[in-house]
Amino acid sequence: MNDDRPLILVVEDEPQIRRFVRAALEDEGRVVEAGSAAEALEAFTGPGPALAIIDLGLPDRDGVELIRELRTWTMLPLLVLSARSAEAEKVAALDAGADDYLTKPFGVQEMRARVRALLRRKKVGAGETVIEFGNIRIDRAHRTVTRDGAAIHLTPIEYRLLGVLLTNAGRVLTHRQLLKEVWGPGYAERGHYLRIYIGHLRQKLEADPARPRHLLTETGVGYRFHLQDSIS
Amino acid sequence: MSEAKPSRGIGDYFRAVLACVATTLLTLPLHGVVDAANIVMIFLLVVALVAVWLGSGPAILAAFGGVALFDFFFVEPRFSLAVADAQYLITFAVMLVVALVIGQLAARLREKALLASRREDEMRALYGMAKLLSGAVAAEQVAEIVRDFLGSRLEIEAVLYLPDRDDALVAIPARRGGDQHQNHVRAVYEQGQSMYLAAEESGYAPALALPLVSSVRTRGVLLIYSDHADRFCAAERRPLLDAVASLAAIAVERLHYGEVVQEVTLGMESERLRTALLSAVSHDLRTPLTVLVGLADALTLARPSLPPPALESAVAIRDQALRLSGLVHNLLDMARLHTGKIVLNREWQPLEEVVGSSLKAMAGALAGREVRVELAPDLPPLEFDAVLLERVFCNLLENAAKYAPQGEILITAQVAGEVVEVAVVDAGPGLPADGEESVFDLFERGRHSGAGGGLGLAICRAIVEVHGGRIRAERRAEGGTRMIFTLPLGTPPVLEEEAGE
Repeated sequence: MNDDRPLILVVEDEPQIRRFVRAALEDEGRVVEAGSAAEALEAFTGPGPALAIIDLGLPDRDGVELIRELRTWTMLPLLVLSARSAEAEKVAALDAGADDYLTKPFGVQEMRARVRALLRRKKVGAGETVIEFGNIRIDRAHRTVTRDGAAIHLTPIEYRLLGVLLTNAGRVLTHRQLLKEVWGPGYAERGHYLRIYIGHLRQKLEADPARPRHLLTETGVGYRFHLQDSIS
Repeated sequence: MSEAKPSRGIGDYFRAVLACVATTLLTLPLHGVVDAANIVMIFLLVVALVAVWLGSGPAILAAFGGVALFDFFFVEPRFSLAVADAQYLITFAVMLVVALVIGQLAARLREKALLASRREDEMRALYGMAKLLSGAVAAEQVAEIVRDFLGSRLEIEAVLYLPDRDDALVAIPARRGGDQHQNHVRAVYEQGQSMYLAAEESGYAPALALPLVSSVRTRGVLLIYSDHADRFCAAERRPLLDAVASLAAIAVERLHYGEVVQEVTLGMESERLRTALLSAVSHDLRTPLTVLVGLADALTLARPSLPPPALESAVAIRDQALRLSGLVHNLLDMARLHTGKIVLNREWQPLEEVVGSSLKAMAGALAGREVRVELAPDLPPLEFDAVLLERVFCNLLENAAKYAPQGEILITAQVAGEVVEVAVVDAGPGLPADGEESVFDLFERGRHSGAGGGLGLAICRAIVEVHGGRIRAERRAEGGTRMIFTLPLGTPPVLEEEAGE
């Protein structure tokens, strides 16, 4: 047993789900289980977990509220478990500070991939000046974007949007978060701006804009930027 | 009371005469003791009292009687109507005029007092009726209270006509032996004007139809009738009758709003129940399905690896559980769409985005399949609910993958007049002849006897239709099926030009 492995907190009231999540994450770190929000908060008394997986339907408290409370004092990555056709719930959890979500039912490999991505995100700083994905190279120091070496022109808003997405690569950003970040607080309700500019970025950066590999849509929720090729 | 006047009248006149005679008898001993002028005063007082107690007619009689008796008993020559001193003629004239004037004034005062007390009585009775009406919980009760009031106070019959759901007027209580008033009542209801129906016109007892006018509209008609038309035709009756009609109108309106509130509450309650049931069902099914998928998936990844037959079973369990989960979602989607109360989260967005997210979501089902996307380059943004439209694409793609096991799948979209036409085309065996429409019907299965395909297409149709579009299926001449749906173009919002370009 290597005690240096990261601590992963699983907050879920259904024991059978905790069981397979624990089994699936054995390779990624040590798993601590919590059946309620109260137990989850207790888990922070010792050495703090490196990541928490939180089911939004907790018996004692609203999962979104728990996330909001955790975010007042910790920046640990939070992965949310939620139902399909509960987009509003997911958006609320992400707006409250969650980093990513998984829709039930989910496969073990998908969950492992998300957990790994979030743990890695923690390690990699956002300070890199040159970022490469696919055939695109972005030099943030010189504010240049090239595709196979050829310069691509981005408008200031496109560049700002890309910057926010890159800084948060691997996380899901809600429409509201992106609008506020790129356009300002007054634009929180103008979802069509965001969608059209995302479309522009895809036209310029994706090999096949209808089947993006990096600038991914989380339907009804927001967007996620994938540095690695997502079709793997 | 006016109708009691004739019967009491003769008695009153007799009493007036009696008062004059009694006055004479009582004042006779005073003859010679007091001055005749004071005797006159006593007679005038009696006339005034008669006027107050008995009214104007007896007062006139008392005035004349008083003058005659004074002349007979107190003026020389006594016990004769002859007058010795001509001066007394002036006394008589003045006495008569004063007696008449006092009598008339006093009588008018009395009538006013009587009228006031009658009004007060009416007001009290109306107030009592209003109180009863405020407690009424059914139209029948309103009708009964109004009938009791008019029956006991005016001895007239009344029927309330109230509109039913189809706006047809229904008599409460129901009238036996046909209703001759129906047409007139209808006219009153529609015009909101009262109408007098003479006996010969209605072929029935004379009647008065009063509209029940509330603040918003005419709520019904109050029909009153009696063989004695004077009981409700007199002008002085109208204020009372109008008051009764307006009180009834208020009561009927209150009942109407009560019903509306109850219907809304019931609707909300059943809606709340339905939503609670849906979310309970979806939660209760989701949890075991998540466990099943997760445990089976964990088994397939277990180390050391399971022996091949067990591994195959684990994979099959996982796949079937995922399929079951998909079916449950489809059922819940259908239930939500069928309640008709789904809230669309419509936003202007490029179609390309939802095509991309659908292809990603269906990557498993489409594994190894060639999918070509041909969206017209000039396609404008459309206003739709991305989550729901993704369901449409996923269901159409799943269908294509399932029923056309080989060949390319093609997604196209282009502007066609006022709409955008989107098609998902496969190269499968195609629809059965005449199956083009029925394929979207609920629980209609697709071309093969595979399960559940029909539910997916029924969901597609429901979603496309709530977006104001149409969906249809076509057989391709070269084989395969073309599923086509439309979305209205609309006018996309204008984007502000980006500054600093």
